[in-house]
Amino acid sequence: MVNLNTVLLISSILFAIGIAGVLVRRNALVILMSIELMLNAANLNFIAFARHSGSVSGQAFALLVMGFAAAEVAVGLALVVALYRKRDTVQVDDINLLKG
Amino acid sequence: MTAEMTLVHAATTAASQPGTLLWLIPFLPLFGFLLNGLSGRKLKSTKVVDFFALGSVGVAFLLTLYYFIQLAGLPAEGRSIHQSLWTWFDVGGARVLGGLTTYKIQWAYKFDVLSGCMALLVTGAGFLIHLFSTGYMAEERNDGRYYRFMAYLNLFVFSMLNLVLGANIMMMFLGWEGVGLCSYLLIGFYFEKEFAAVAGKKAFVTNRIGDFGFMIGFFLIFQIFGSLDYDTLMGSVRAVAHLPAITLYGHTASPTWWFNLIGCCLFVGAMGKSAQIPLYVWLPDAMAGPTPVSALIHAATMVTSGLYMITRMNFIYVNAPVALAVVLAFGSLTAFVAATMGLAQYDIKKVLAYSTVSQLGFMFMGMGAGAFSAGMFHVFTHAAFKASLFLGSGSVIAACHHEQDMRNMGGLKKLMPITAMSMILATFAISGIFPFSGFFSKDEILWKVFEGWYQHGHYTGPTLNLVAWILGMLGAACTAFYMTRLIAMTFYGEYRGAGHDPHGLSVPSEAHGHDDAHGDPHDDHGHDDHGHAAPSHAAAHGHAAPDSHGHGPTEVSWRMWLPVSILAGLAVVLGFLNYPESLHRILPIVPSELFSKWIEPLLYQVAPAHHGEHVPPAIEYGLMAWATLVWAPAAMLLAWWMYKVDPSWSRAKAFVARFPVLYRWVNAKYYVDEFYEAALIEPIKRFSAQLWSFDTWVVDGVVNGAARATLIWAGLMNWVDEYLVDGAVDLVEYFVQETSGVFRGLQTGRVQNYAFVMFLGFLVFAFWKFLV
Repeated sequence: MVNLNTVLLISSILFAIGIAGVLVRRNALVILMSIELMLNAANLNFIAFARHSGSVSGQAFALLVMGFAAAEVAVGLALVVALYRKRDTVQVDDINLLKG
Repeated sequence: MTAEMTLVHAATTAASQPGTLLWLIPFLPLFGFLLNGLSGRKLKSTKVVDFFALGSVGVAFLLTLYYFIQLAGLPAEGRSIHQSLWTWFDVGGARVLGGLTTYKIQWAYKFDVLSGCMALLVTGAGFLIHLFSTGYMAEERNDGRYYRFMAYLNLFVFSMLNLVLGANIMMMFLGWEGVGLCSYLLIGFYFEKEFAAVAGKKAFVTNRIGDFGFMIGFFLIFQIFGSLDYDTLMGSVRAVAHLPAITLYGHTASPTWWFNLIGCCLFVGAMGKSAQIPLYVWLPDAMAGPTPVSALIHAATMVTSGLYMITRMNFIYVNAPVALAVVLAFGSLTAFVAATMGLAQYDIKKVLAYSTVSQLGFMFMGMGAGAFSAGMFHVFTHAAFKASLFLGSGSVIAACHHEQDMRNMGGLKKLMPITAMSMILATFAISGIFPFSGFFSKDEILWKVFEGWYQHGHYTGPTLNLVAWILGMLGAACTAFYMTRLIAMTFYGEYRGAGHDPHGLSVPSEAHGHDDAHGDPHDDHGHDDHGHAAPSHAAAHGHAAPDSHGHGPTEVSWRMWLPVSILAGLAVVLGFLNYPESLHRILPIVPSELFSKWIEPLLYQVAPAHHGEHVPPAIEYGLMAWATLVWAPAAMLLAWWMYKVDPSWSRAKAFVARFPVLYRWVNAKYYVDEFYEAALIEPIKRFSAQLWSFDTWVVDGVVNGAARATLIWAGLMNWVDEYLVDGAVDLVEYFVQETSGVFRGLQTGRVQNYAFVMFLGFLVFAFWKFLV
């Protein structure tokens, strides 16, 4: 039986990796992948707490998040493709129209 | 007549007969005017114009004749035919003496003893002169303005008939202004020539001065009487004259004082219209118009309207001794001065113009002496002989190819016998030779003036009468002289226009000789009123116009000599209509004083002032014989001797050489025009120039100054706006711009930076939530 704390620790590490990926990497595709990591870290938490508390509602939430993630990644990839067509790049450094 | 004799005035409204067709007399010429004026331009043939113009005046003449005969059939006290057409305007509520009036001015005509005669004169002479014009204006038939001339003439006849037939002063004033307008239009008929346009303006402006006096006069009449109808005025004048005092405009004075004022004001109007000193200056210049106009308007009819008005207003004048004296003084002065001006003129129309002014002066003398019928009678005889002379001069001018200088004429008696005979008869008439008409009218006037001096068996009358009589006699001599001079220069000797000029008398017709030496700019006015007339026109209308250049003058067509001779015939016989009582013994078959008796119902009768005792008949006979047998013939013979007996005019030239200054002054008409120019016109022009500069500098200056002040203020405001308001805005903007650099650095535009900040914020929140 794996300890709850261990699972939470792994989830935190996953989330941190995701955050770091979002904040550090410049490629839009990698950022999208990092977001998936963060979402999956959250899913792991949902599962862990569901298992710990003996309720299934957490598992249902995890399924819901996976659906959301699928939709999100579809929209995100479409955006990246549109962006590439428009600007000929997927590097987010180059996308700085909001620069003051 | 005796001293206690007072007649009730005969002419009252009740005695008037209705006349249903009376309105047609003035309106027929109006219709002629409208027809010709509106359609004349489009009419193919000028014969249609002739038909309308002559027809309307001719029928009006016949109608006048019909009413005149009807009038003669009425009893003397009721000789008045009246027709009221409509209410012209209502002056009810106006404040007059004794309260508010309810008077309505009627558009009404009154055909009585005076207006009937005048209407006969206007339509009769008018018709003859229309007929003359069809010949004289033949050259205009082709250039499209013939209809305009005829239409103006018709309009003039309408206005003049309104003037004489109107039943109240307002109607007279309407006609008065109308004839002034027509005079202006016809003097300036050749308006493309500057002198004609200037002469027209001069006539109009001078007349306006007179009209001003006339208007003041009848305004005062309206204020005092509350009415302008002749019948009402004549009916109430006796009552008004016996009022103790009249107060108007805060001034209280006796009725006589007011009547004197009215009389003088009205006389100012008569001065303008009838060309008396000092307003006569327009009449000689008016000769710039075509000659029929000079005959009709400026000799026979319009210029007599002042006389007509004074006769009509005799009830005022009889009660206004000072006004009468003023009339007498100005009349006699004009009669003399204008006659002397005629002595040294060479322009045939100018001679006749000054003669007209002088004769009008005689008429006013008669009025001034209280002899209204004598003055009025001279109006009619003068109309006959002066119209004849003017039309004759028109024939001469036309025959001599529009030459007006008498030095370039001469010998025309052989060439134009009918015109010459007519003019010679008219000359006898105007000179006052017995038994031509001028004798009966002019000498009657002079006699009445003399009689005024002789009072109560002693020569103690007003000295003015004596002076006026002497001036009149001198004027009569001048008249006889210059008329004989005119006849001798024009009709006797050799024709000098064709180059045959043994004595070197002719002058270049353009330079006009006598005026340029004195720098008189007015003298060449009216010299050639047909300057545009091309020889081809004359040739094309040879039947009416005289022959073309290159031939000598010949007799003019019947359309021209017929009116001249008819008028000359009238000038011969007309005098017998007022055959003096004192000559009854010589020609007992002639009824005496027909005209005076005819006009008598119109005249206001007072207790006669100086008719109490008559001058002994011996004096009357003596003066008559003296005037007609010695005085006038002597002047005529003198002129004959100077200009006919001696064809080189050396006697006249010797006289001029001996008295050059006198000649220069007379020839230049005493420099009156120059005096007016210098004393009145120049100052007025200078005054207007000053007003103009006031306008430019002060009035415009105020406007421009306001504009400039606004500009300066706007500049100031612009500065404030630019530097203060905009400065404040710019300062804020600058401040924001400068400080924004700090924050701008934060705004990298990179999504990851924002996400990082968001993450940090989340961390801070989380630490704060869970750890603190």
